[in-house]
Amino acid sequence: MSRHADDKDTREKRPGYRPGSLEVLAVLLLVLIVAQRWLVGVFDNPALQTGATIFISIVVQALPFLVLGVVLSGAIAAFVPPSFWKKALPKNPALAVPVAGAAGAILPGCECASVPVANGLMSRGVTPAAALAFLLSAPAINPIVLASTFVAFPGEPMMVVARFLASLATAVVMGWLWLRFGKQEWLRIGPRDHLSGDNPWHTFRLTATHDFLHAGGFLVIGGLTAAFLNVVVPQDWLAAVAGHPVLSILALAGLAVVLSICSEADAFVAASLTEFSLTAKLAFMVVGPMVDIKLVSLQAGTFSRKFATRFAPATFVLAVLFSMLVGWWLLT
Amino acid sequence: MRRDVQAVILILVGGAILRISVGDTFLNYVKESMRPWLLLSGVTLVVLGVLALIDVIRRARRGETTEEPDPHDPVDDEGHSHVHGPRAAWLLLLPVFAIFLIAPPALGAFAAARDTTNAVPPAEAKAPPLPPGDPVDVTVADYVGRAVWDSGLTLEGRTVQMTGFVTPNPEGGWWLTRLALSCCAADAIASKIQAVDAPDLPADTWVTVTGTWIPGGGTKSSTAIPLVQVQDLVEVPQPKNPYE
Repeated sequence: MSRHADDKDTREKRPGYRPGSLEVLAVLLLVLIVAQRWLVGVFDNPALQTGATIFISIVVQALPFLVLGVVLSGAIAAFVPPSFWKKALPKNPALAVPVAGAAGAILPGCECASVPVANGLMSRGVTPAAALAFLLSAPAINPIVLASTFVAFPGEPMMVVARFLASLATAVVMGWLWLRFGKQEWLRIGPRDHLSGDNPWHTFRLTATHDFLHAGGFLVIGGLTAAFLNVVVPQDWLAAVAGHPVLSILALAGLAVVLSICSEADAFVAASLTEFSLTAKLAFMVVGPMVDIKLVSLQAGTFSRKFATRFAPATFVLAVLFSMLVGWWLLT
Repeated sequence: MRRDVQAVILILVGGAILRISVGDTFLNYVKESMRPWLLLSGVTLVVLGVLALIDVIRRARRGETTEEPDPHDPVDDEGHSHVHGPRAAWLLLLPVFAIFLIAPPALGAFAAARDTTNAVPPAEAKAPPLPPGDPVDVTVADYVGRAVWDSGLTLEGRTVQMTGFVTPNPEGGWWLTRLALSCCAADAIASKIQAVDAPDLPADTWVTVTGTWIPGGGTKSSTAIPLVQVQDLVEVPQPKNPYE
C-alpha cells in the first residue's frame, strides 16, 4: 500500500531517488538492534548512566502531561467554536490578559500541558497576550501545585499565598508587555488548514497527533539538556552563595531553569534547599514553572526560536523581581 | 515526514511507555502514583498511531499521497517548512531506544555522592517514638532525620534495620544510602548514613543493615551524616521500588 504512494512521491516531487522517511526509520531500527551490545557497553559508566536515567525520567514524567495538553488542544480545535472565546473573554485585550491569567488556575497540569493548549487557543483566535498569560500562570497557580506547596512548607502557609501572587503578577504583566511590545511575526500560528479533517473527530486526531509529535521532539531536546547540566554542574557552588541576600535568589532562580522539574514537585525540592532564605525558595518556585530548559525548548518548537529568545529572558527577570517584592512583603 | 512514519513513531512512543509501566521498570524513573497516567497516555498514543495508520492505508487505496499535504505553510524562521510534518518528531525515537535498548537503571551511588545536603529538617519538632519491634524497620531518611534533628533521642537503645545501597565515602568506608523522589528522578534527594565496622563493599551493592545508633557525625545541620554501628549485614537484591 505505501509502495504505491512512494512511487508517486519519487515521480512527482523529487528528481532521482532519495530514501523516504520510512526507509530511514527501518535502517535506523536495524542498525540499533545490531549495535545494542556495543551501546550497552558504552553506557556502562556511572555519569552517563545517571544522565540517561535523568533524561528518561524527565521525559517519562512529562509525557502524560503533554498527552493531556495535546488532547485538550485537539479538543479546542475540533469541538469549541472560535465564537466561544469571543464571548468568554473581555473584548479589550488589556482586560482579557488578567482574566486569562486567573483562568490558569483551572488547568490541573504542569508546564508541558500548557504549551500546546496556549497554541491551540491562539490558533482559535484568542488574543496572543491573553493566551501567553494563561501559558505562564496555568502551571504555577493550579490547585494541585498550590496544595503540594502547602504540604511541602508545613510551617509556612504564607508561602502558598506568596507563590500564587508572585506567579499571577508575573503572568499578567508579561501579557501586558506582550500587548505593548510583542510582534505577531514572532509567533508561528496562522491557520492550520492542513489539520482540519473530514469531521470534528478527525480534526481532533490530526491536531492532537501533530501537536504531540512536534512538542514531543522539543521535549526530548529539553530533557537531554537538563539531564546533561544536572550531571555536569557541580552542586557545591550553591552552598557558597546561600548566605548572600541577592545572589542566593539568583542562584536558586538559575537552578530552577537548569533542573527543569515538574511544577507539581518543585515545592518539595525547594523545601529541601535548607540553607536558603524563604524568598530564594519562592523565586525557585515562581521561575521554574515559567522558565526552564525543557519549557523554553517546547516554546521554541511551538512558537518559534525568535519568540523563545525574547519571551523567556523577560519572564525570568520579571519572575525574579516579583519574587523579591512579594518575598520582602510577605515572607520576612 | 510521511504520515505512516508519524504513525509508527506514535506507536513506538506509546509502546515504550506501556512497556515500562505494565511492569515495575517505571519505578526507576518516577513515583508509583504516576502508573495510571502513564498507562492512560501510552494507550492514547498507541490508539492515535493505529488510527493514523488506518488513515494512511485508506488514502493509499484511494491513490492519495501519504505526505502531509501542507502547500501553504510558510517557511518559518528556522528555515524549514512543515511540508513533511514536524521533523522534530524524529527525536522522540531517542527515549524509545533508550528504554528498549539501554534501559537506564535506577539512580545510585554516583547521584547520591553529588547530593551534598543530607538531612532535611523534619516537619515536626520532635519525632514520635519508633514503633515496637526488635529489630525495628526504619527508612534511611527517617533514621537520618531522627539522628540529626532529634540528636538520636528516639533511636537510643533500639536495634534498627534498614535497606539501602553502598555509596563510597571519599574519606573512608561507605554510606548506607537511599534516594527519595518527589516526582521524578531529576529531583532525587539522597539520605546517607556512615556504616561503622562494616566490610568494604563495591558501590551500588544493595544491603540490609541491622545496627544501633551511635553518636557522631554532627547534629542540627542539613549536611550532617550520622553513624550506625553495624551488627549484621546481608547483601540483598535491589528492592522493587529503589526509592523511598
